[in-house]
Amino acid sequence: MNNPDFSSLIQFENVSKKYGSFRALHDVSFDVKEGEIVGFLGPNGAGKTTAMRILSGFFPPSSGRVWVQGIDISKHPQKAKRAIGYLPETVSLYPDMRVIEYLRFVAKLKGVPAHELRGHVRSKMSFCGLLDSGHRLIGRLSKGYRQRVGLAQALVADPPVLVLDEPTTGLDPSQIKEIRELIRALGQNRAVIFSTHILPEISMLCSRVLMINQGEILASGTVPELASCLKDREAIHIKIKDEKDQARALKILNKIPGIEALKVAQDIRGETFISLETSPEQDLRPLIMKLFVEQGVSLAEIQRLQLTLEDIFLGLLKDGKSGRRFS
Amino acid sequence: MKKVLTIARKEFSSCFHSWLGVLMATLFFLVSGIFFVILVLNYAKISANPQQYGLSNFAGIDQTHYVFGSFFSNLSIMLLFLVPILTMRSFAEEKRQETLELLFTYPLSDFEIVAGKQLGILWFFEALVLPLLGYLAVFRWIGGEFDWGPVLLGFLGFWLLGSAYLAAGVFISSLTQSPIISALGTFSILLVFWIFDWVDDVATGPWAHIFSELSPLAHYKNFTLGILDVQDVVFFCFFFFYFLFLTMRSIETRNWKS
Repeated sequence: MNNPDFSSLIQFENVSKKYGSFRALHDVSFDVKEGEIVGFLGPNGAGKTTAMRILSGFFPPSSGRVWVQGIDISKHPQKAKRAIGYLPETVSLYPDMRVIEYLRFVAKLKGVPAHELRGHVRSKMSFCGLLDSGHRLIGRLSKGYRQRVGLAQALVADPPVLVLDEPTTGLDPSQIKEIRELIRALGQNRAVIFSTHILPEISMLCSRVLMINQGEILASGTVPELASCLKDREAIHIKIKDEKDQARALKILNKIPGIEALKVAQDIRGETFISLETSPEQDLRPLIMKLFVEQGVSLAEIQRLQLTLEDIFLGLLKDGKSGRRFS
Repeated sequence: MKKVLTIARKEFSSCFHSWLGVLMATLFFLVSGIFFVILVLNYAKISANPQQYGLSNFAGIDQTHYVFGSFFSNLSIMLLFLVPILTMRSFAEEKRQETLELLFTYPLSDFEIVAGKQLGILWFFEALVLPLLGYLAVFRWIGGEFDWGPVLLGFLGFWLLGSAYLAAGVFISSLTQSPIISALGTFSILLVFWIFDWVDDVATGPWAHIFSELSPLAHYKNFTLGILDVQDVVFFCFFFFYFLFLTMRSIETRNWKS
């Protein structure tokens, strides 16, 4: 693929980034189309922020190419940057400026025509719920409001591509909900790419997930697609009433073939919680129950669980480390 | 160009947002006023009784030269303290607060960012210098006489010297994340340039001459004496644009380091 694909708004082609000898991104390729909300998922230091900074034009990649709206970002950085709205991880704004003053400043820098400026800034402020705070100093705003100003500055000049680096960290639950609503609304006619630590957020908002670890893309796809990668795993949770039975229960479980990742945790009320993973082909619940009852273990609960995104993520991380790859 | 002006306007108004800008302006007017008053009073004292000061012929002392020549020389010392404080925030503060990151993601060229910042600080400096013209009115009002030529040349020289110093200060500010270090660094570099001016007094030979030629103060001296030399103007322009160029390079390094 040597030519930009014009149907995608964002296109990464074999992008690598090195900080000295440290490899922050290695041979990353993906694309995002209009109307897609793509979630970036990965542990700290995986390269999420690096990828987003390259996309936002903050620094160029060490190798590889990035297109935004079919524009090569390293060849026409200013043209490409016009198409991008970026919300950095730590929203750093001028503390001594007023909200409206700052947004007008950004609008002018982004080339919003003078006669549209007032109306444009006002509409972004109303979208982000800032109309009442226009004349407050940014330095005196709460974290949640500063995040809104950050989002508003990203939206100024209506860029078709939005890059949001952990937009919900540090916000209280109701603010998180609001920001999510905003992102959902924005994703309808744009390409949105955002990173997060909060896994449910991804299944709530994203049409697609990109998992990265150690600078490489581990997996990419919709949430159900990713879940199917891990079809060969299933979790069973067991609760035991009497903690004296714990040793006996573990002895039984260890004898059953096909049980992996046996974990034990003490519940607050003295109940013992055991989790294990098996393959879904055989349902082990009847067997476990039968053995427990025979041996007189005080079984309180046994449950077969669907894998959450969290399990998928951790599973993929584990598999990625052992060299297995998903496409 | 529009974007340069937008950044310049923001820089300029941010000088007034902080107490620092207002404080610096107040101090500048206070100290320059004291210089001026002392010079005028001294002149008046001498003119009342020239013989006492060993001057047989009072007419030999030129008012313009005595009052304004010395006034501009004194002002140049003030720049040593004023410039580091005016420039310390320009890039260092933005790096510290990480606001520069966002600026880099807007559709702006590095030149537009550097030029805008430089221009904004220059405007603030000009806002400090312009009211000094008021001293001329005061001088006239108390009965003094002066020649417009040398006085305006003095202002031109002071403006050129200040602009050159500010360019150096903005460059130092672009090297660090700490406004304090930026201020100290700028102060040191201006001090070194000032010392260059003395080399010619203590040493001889071609090297001493080169050093003294590199000193902005040596070139500024001509302006205070009412002499306009194209060489001096060229020197200040070179000084200014050289540091502007260095600042651009320093901003660009974000692309190399990593």
